[in-house]
Amino acid sequence: MKRFLKRLPNRLWVLLCLIVLFAFFANDFGLVDIQKTAIVLAAGIDRTPEGFTLTAQIAVPKGTDRTTGGTSGVEIGGQGENISDCLSDLYAKTGWVPKLVFCDLLVLGEGAVREDVFDGLDYFLRNEYIPDSCLLAACEGSAAELLSSESAIDDTSALALGKLFSDAATKSGQVMTTTLREFAIGYFNESRSGYMPYVRMQQQEKGAQKEAQASGGAQNKQGGQSGQDGAQKIYSARETALFSEGRLAALLSPEETLAFSLLKGNVYAGTFTTDGRSYVILKNKGSVDVGTRDVPDIRLYAGCKVQLCGERETASPERLARGELSEQEEAHVSEVLTQYAKRLWDTCAAADCDFLFFRRSLRRASPALYGTWKDVPLSSVPADIVVRAESLR
Amino acid sequence: MTITPRQICFFLAGIAPVGKLILLPANLAATCGNDLLLPVLAHVLVQSVLVFCVLLLGRRERTLCTLLRDACGKTAARIAACLLAAFLLFAAFVPVIEQKLLVRSTFYDTIPAYLVFTPFFLFAAYICARPLPTLGRLWDILAPLALTGMAGIALFSAGSADLGALAPAGAAGAGGFLKGVQTACAWFFDAALLLCLIGRFPYRKGLALGGALCSLAGGGVLLLLLALFYGVFPGIAVIQTPAFSRMSGFFAGMTVLGRIDYFFIFAVAFAMTFHAALPVQCAVGLLTEAFGNKKYLAPALSVLFSALMLSAVYLVHFHTSAAVRTVTETLFWIFPLFTVLVPLLALLVFGRRHETLS
Repeated sequence: MKRFLKRLPNRLWVLLCLIVLFAFFANDFGLVDIQKTAIVLAAGIDRTPEGFTLTAQIAVPKGTDRTTGGTSGVEIGGQGENISDCLSDLYAKTGWVPKLVFCDLLVLGEGAVREDVFDGLDYFLRNEYIPDSCLLAACEGSAAELLSSESAIDDTSALALGKLFSDAATKSGQVMTTTLREFAIGYFNESRSGYMPYVRMQQQEKGAQKEAQASGGAQNKQGGQSGQDGAQKIYSARETALFSEGRLAALLSPEETLAFSLLKGNVYAGTFTTDGRSYVILKNKGSVDVGTRDVPDIRLYAGCKVQLCGERETASPERLARGELSEQEEAHVSEVLTQYAKRLWDTCAAADCDFLFFRRSLRRASPALYGTWKDVPLSSVPADIVVRAESLR
Repeated sequence: MTITPRQICFFLAGIAPVGKLILLPANLAATCGNDLLLPVLAHVLVQSVLVFCVLLLGRRERTLCTLLRDACGKTAARIAACLLAAFLLFAAFVPVIEQKLLVRSTFYDTIPAYLVFTPFFLFAAYICARPLPTLGRLWDILAPLALTGMAGIALFSAGSADLGALAPAGAAGAGGFLKGVQTACAWFFDAALLLCLIGRFPYRKGLALGGALCSLAGGGVLLLLLALFYGVFPGIAVIQTPAFSRMSGFFAGMTVLGRIDYFFIFAVAFAMTFHAALPVQCAVGLLTEAFGNKKYLAPALSVLFSALMLSAVYLVHFHTSAAVRTVTETLFWIFPLFTVLVPLLALLVFGRRHETLS
């Protein structure tokens, strides 16, 4: 008896632990059932007179055998006064709990970006279960249309857009991606500006579609049928939308986007074409510096190592082997890229959109100068812009 | 069984910084913006001096209770032990709340039922019933784990951190600095924890200085992580509450490798679980010794204190922010009282009795 009483507390302890463990594993302490959970791959935000429409692209397994396996998406829209309200509407309509932890893309429709987008984006920022690393994009037309469109290259539009915003695409200098974190940092700092890729949708031509089908590329389930009526889409994000105070301020052309990429030092193995010749950028360094001597000025510099990679006319084997640029060519390429960068600054100054963070740099360098110069329009800030291209020898 | 000087150093350099990585960074960013490193630097320097003092007191090789009993009698020793234990329980509140927030927002992808945190108290009840010298072995395991975790997080965060965001230094002014020092008080009570451990480790020449240097090294690790945290989230640091688990998620390779930073986050979170229970364990150890080392006392106190913590945490479940604000803003003065004043007084009163040195 004495021995039993001695061991009783330990036994009760083990029993208690077992009860808690049973409660934990039996019901996951009330965690959401996977059958009632909608895994959202991408979300689109559009503005309505009443508030917002949130279109969620929800992942649906296509099948289990090898030919039909993969992920397809179903798009469901919810309306409400704010984004949280839209998600409640989605839940009410479908009974699915929208799970945004895998949401890697937020698309803002044309209407949404005309006003401060942060009244919609702040929900994603404040929700601790949504990754701040999700990508942002603005689009032509409505976000619902874009997400509901049928991609010619992938099972869902979100997956196709994900390819456009891959690291490789960013390094090509063709697209400037941004995450929710980066956009929020730009919005809340002294410059109150940001950028995101601007997506345009094009109808895939029938011939190209048939070729794509014949080559056995990834096609979605309805690909064969819709391929007949030419409803499949391809997407382009070579333009960049600039935001000031959360509103769309300007659009950067593909050339200006390339210049922006060069200034960021992002480009590796990206190509560009001028006067019938294509060049590949094999190394890139870029900087944006703010001078604070008497009058603040901005210096944009980009340096790149380039190699000739394509010509309109036939070249000799020696020229093909070397791919070097002559001094005149180097000067010409440098001049072309400098012009792109100048156009970039002009767009920035005309829209007074400080996405190169002039004001932020000014404050970091000198709070006193920032106090004096913070309201000066960017068009009156002297800019020294140099892009230097050197041939790979 | 005793704690070795190496284990003390492990605690100061590897475990102590771990307890300051959840709410402190965001709270400091809210009070002093880009100057968040300065109040922490001040606390680290003060704590290092205090660690030096407490370890110097360890030369007596007698526990705090023994020192008190010999100097002021049994009753006074018990009262003093009760007061210090009450402070440690009070100090344990924020770490336990932090642990709960961490579990809720890092280990789940939707808001879980609040019962999910209950197993922590079962664990705490077990660990707090263990005698204080067992801490040494724990620290031997946890310190390398925590340091590896913190190094991994720092490595993954470094690429996306804009350290220029820490400029211009001093922008928050003296007011911001003082407010930051006040806010951070609730996280810097390492000296009070060490006070409970004196007499449980053999004093060797140079331990006090070595301990202070380890405390500085731990502070350096903390400052580095804080700098990276603010660099990753300038301007939006205020909303990143479980700071350390968020900052490493932007590493470029994640798109290919997935969230491999979770290995490091889990390593730090594992060490944090023991760190959150440490003040309660110290309180139990102190009271058990003060009341005669009776065999049933440690388990009984451990269960009682864990139940108390559980009640307190669930009682303020819907008022968590207000409760944390009360501790860090209204009752902040309690921390320097026990962390600064008590160790200094102890050194002043007991540190001079060289005749009893072993």
